[in-house]
Amino acid sequence: MTVFSTTQKKSLLTAIIAVVAFFYALRLFQMQVLEFEKFDAKSSSNSIKAIEQIPLRGVFYDRNMNLLVENTPAYTVRIFPAEYNTKANKFLEGVLGLDSGYIANQLYKNRIFSKFVPIKIQRGASFEAVGWIEENKENLPGVDYIIEMQRNYPSGVMGAHVFGYSKEISQKQLEQNSDGFYNPGDLIGYSGLERSYEEFIRGKKGFNYILVDSRRREIGKFKDGLRDVASIKGSDLVLGIDLNLQRVLEESMLGKVGAGVAIEPSTGEILALVSSPDFDLNQFSYVTSRDYLSDLLSDKRKPQFNRATSSKHPPGSTFKILCAIAGLESGVINENSTFFCGGGFTFGRFFKCHGAHGSINVVHAIEKSCNSFFYQLIFKIGLNRLADYAELFGLGKKTGVDIKEEVKGLIPRTSYYEKLYGKNWPQGILVSLGIGQGEIGATPLQLAHFTALVANNGKSFAPHFVRGFLDENKKLHSLKFREINTGVSQKTFDLVKEGMFLVVNGAGTATAIRMQEIKICGKTGTAQNPHGQDHAWFIGYAPADNPQIAVAVLVENVGFGGTHAAPIAKRMIETYLLKNKPELFKNKQDSLNPINKFRGFLEN
Amino acid sequence: MRIDYKLNDKFDLSLFSAALILIVMGLMGIYSSTQNTPHVMLNFEKQLFSLGVGMAGLIIIYFLPLNFFKVISLPTYAVSLFLLVVVLLIGKTVGGAKSWIGLGIFSFQPVELAKFASVLALAHYLSKPNINLDNLKDIFITLAIGLGPVPLILLEPDMGSSFVFFGFVLIILFWRGLSVFGIYVVISPVIIAISSLLGTWYFVGGAIIVLALLFYFKKDLFTSGAIMGLNLSTGFFVDYLYNFLSPHQQKRIASFIDPMSDPLGAGYNSIQAQVAIGSGGLFGKGFLNGNQTQLQYIPEQWTDFIFCVIGEEFGFIGSVLLVFLFIVLFTRILKTAVVAKDDFFGIVLVGIFSIYFIHFIINIGMTIGILPIIGIPLPFVSYGGSSLLINLAMLGLVLNVYKSRII
Repeated sequence: MTVFSTTQKKSLLTAIIAVVAFFYALRLFQMQVLEFEKFDAKSSSNSIKAIEQIPLRGVFYDRNMNLLVENTPAYTVRIFPAEYNTKANKFLEGVLGLDSGYIANQLYKNRIFSKFVPIKIQRGASFEAVGWIEENKENLPGVDYIIEMQRNYPSGVMGAHVFGYSKEISQKQLEQNSDGFYNPGDLIGYSGLERSYEEFIRGKKGFNYILVDSRRREIGKFKDGLRDVASIKGSDLVLGIDLNLQRVLEESMLGKVGAGVAIEPSTGEILALVSSPDFDLNQFSYVTSRDYLSDLLSDKRKPQFNRATSSKHPPGSTFKILCAIAGLESGVINENSTFFCGGGFTFGRFFKCHGAHGSINVVHAIEKSCNSFFYQLIFKIGLNRLADYAELFGLGKKTGVDIKEEVKGLIPRTSYYEKLYGKNWPQGILVSLGIGQGEIGATPLQLAHFTALVANNGKSFAPHFVRGFLDENKKLHSLKFREINTGVSQKTFDLVKEGMFLVVNGAGTATAIRMQEIKICGKTGTAQNPHGQDHAWFIGYAPADNPQIAVAVLVENVGFGGTHAAPIAKRMIETYLLKNKPELFKNKQDSLNPINKFRGFLEN
Repeated sequence: MRIDYKLNDKFDLSLFSAALILIVMGLMGIYSSTQNTPHVMLNFEKQLFSLGVGMAGLIIIYFLPLNFFKVISLPTYAVSLFLLVVVLLIGKTVGGAKSWIGLGIFSFQPVELAKFASVLALAHYLSKPNINLDNLKDIFITLAIGLGPVPLILLEPDMGSSFVFFGFVLIILFWRGLSVFGIYVVISPVIIAISSLLGTWYFVGGAIIVLALLFYFKKDLFTSGAIMGLNLSTGFFVDYLYNFLSPHQQKRIASFIDPMSDPLGAGYNSIQAQVAIGSGGLFGKGFLNGNQTQLQYIPEQWTDFIFCVIGEEFGFIGSVLLVFLFIVLFTRILKTAVVAKDDFFGIVLVGIFSIYFIHFIINIGMTIGILPIIGIPLPFVSYGGSSLLINLAMLGLVLNVYKSRII
């Protein structure tokens, strides 16, 4: 092989340099001189900026077309850091009522973004402040204001856990953003209906095309705005919520910890749902103040937690209704079967009853809430068969309600105890289960749904808030929900409902809420709470012969259900069924005024 | 003029001026691409600072006795390998690669030092008189020294820098008198390795080419067998290594081989880079007036895509001036290499030339759509302290060798 001399090698390398350099220069000539126009056109199109037009979110109406959630315009004050003079900080902070140093801090926080992108300094600025900015425009370079929409709640009901709120989209949600709708900084439904109906109510974005120069400064409209696309408002939702009932329930639950739910039995529509304590959605309508949020988060009662759909407690004696249905329907007992109650039941140890009810049948066992009867019944039914019936009535599984915040609850089967205690698990556990205590959990929504199914003789729909959405012509398009048919016989319902009638109207545990004009059927319950005072339950429906409302009420840490939960249920039923009586309606309105003031909305 | 003559005698003014103008062009590009992006606005000042430190280093190196570099070549190589291990253990991850060692407010990229150190170590070994590059053993030792840092660099992973190592090892071997057959022996495993990553049929094709060339060289059976065995085992080893990688590392390799497999990633950058340069036209849009640059269509333009800023704002004239300055830089170094006082410095200078040259080919090539997007900086021009410091240090050595050249 030839070995080159050093000079030859140098020449060869120099030749390679020359070839590469020549080739690259040629390519540059091609790009920058020959094909300049092609690249220039592409570069110019890069100078057109599409500005998104955020659509209005759909509003919410109640079942009588009262506006519950709407949009109102609000002024947002912005600063363009590139043009802004920080000498104006002091004046601007004074006029907007901001803390001293707030603007400097915001400018510092946003320093990583382009100086030509505006920073939102205040949302919901006052009219006076905006007027001052307009007057002093000359002395305030780089300060402007725009109109943005924010949520407003004109009806005076909170509905915090029902309506929910929107929040700036998170990084994680942006990654899952499969249809590419969202950009950083966009709002997205975060909880309640705002979240679950996001795709209905978010609408369609529009775009304005704007020419920008090399500094990203706007220099005019692209083609005089001919290419602009207007945004399309989201669909309005019509809810099954009854404004008055929701209002009364919110007022009744004020100061208590618990939840109340009302359902229309024939349709599964939720008439009212309250979880208490609740929180002020107005605080979330755009930017949440740090103080309010830290108050919420430090509250041990967790106001943001939806107790109505996500808290599970033993249903207590309300579960006896289900045991009775399971016993009757499976043929283990009939209307004449009796068990003996001598004041309790011995299985390994003694389980006591509230009294000695003697030989008692199923109707009276419900009326008196006789523990002994149900202690004995559950052994005849068997755990797994009971669980089958519980599931048939929507317990131990999600009801499929149209908000995302929901838990399954717990209905144990033999496999559950085998896992926990092994093959030879103590059968004594079953005794408590027969009266709805122990390792069993239901949400207030599940019990309301269960009550609705009983009231409507085993047929209903999955519980839901939304009846449908309105099209551009304000025509309602109903949404379809899962139909439920338990297939349980009418005879069984007749017997159980007779027992529930007697609970209120006989010699039962809730005679205190008996009324002349409306016949209420119900069942009290008290969930034993190892950590403190018992939780009070009441489930019921009315009127007895033609049920139009089914309710479940839970009040935590207060004691007996008949005393604490039943009166709230009564008030709900009255409000809903006697709505045509103006004097009653007026009273309720008056009684609301203090809380309206307390919550800080003054509407005239 | 007498003064000029004296100055040129001791100092390669053309080389130094070319590098200085490149640095100034780089500073303008960095300023233009960062002035509107507050979180990198300090990059211009940082680069000025690095330039100050680098120039001080250049002056010191210019005056150091040349023998000093022979003494420190192997220790420097050892230190650079050590730092490459350290960076894998405690390094900072920037842009997906763990290639930075943080030192308070500064951070350092060991790979930049490793390039220079490997060149020094190679020169140290190859300048021994008894080295015969017709001997396979000596070739393998050369490869082991030159490519020693590559596995560590691939672990970061930093593909671009690995290419630089392959490049300068090959050019240095050529300079040291490697025969055409020797070049074949060195290149063939690289062909096999790349083709095995491309797919089975490419691998078969690559193997056939390598085999055909082997027949052409008509070597004895033992040598031929050894080379074929080396090549095949390289192919299977690379394949094994590939399967051993995690999916995201495999994806990185896939998009490296075919940029269009990731059109919104590497492909997007390639397109926007070409739009920036092409729209610059003959004279450019003017300093600070390139809308591609100012609107930040290309991410991190101040580093690997700095040439786009120059192409857009200074046009064809500016781009060709930059290419011309590099030609001056390259040819001046090669000229000095020929007249270096001994083999060691000849090899070192060819190595330094190779480092600059390969960076230049890859960096400009990727921005003008000739090569796939491989992230390595443009010497003297791109933002980056480690890169600028080492480049100036190497330049100082070149100037020093020029000063002591054989006339």
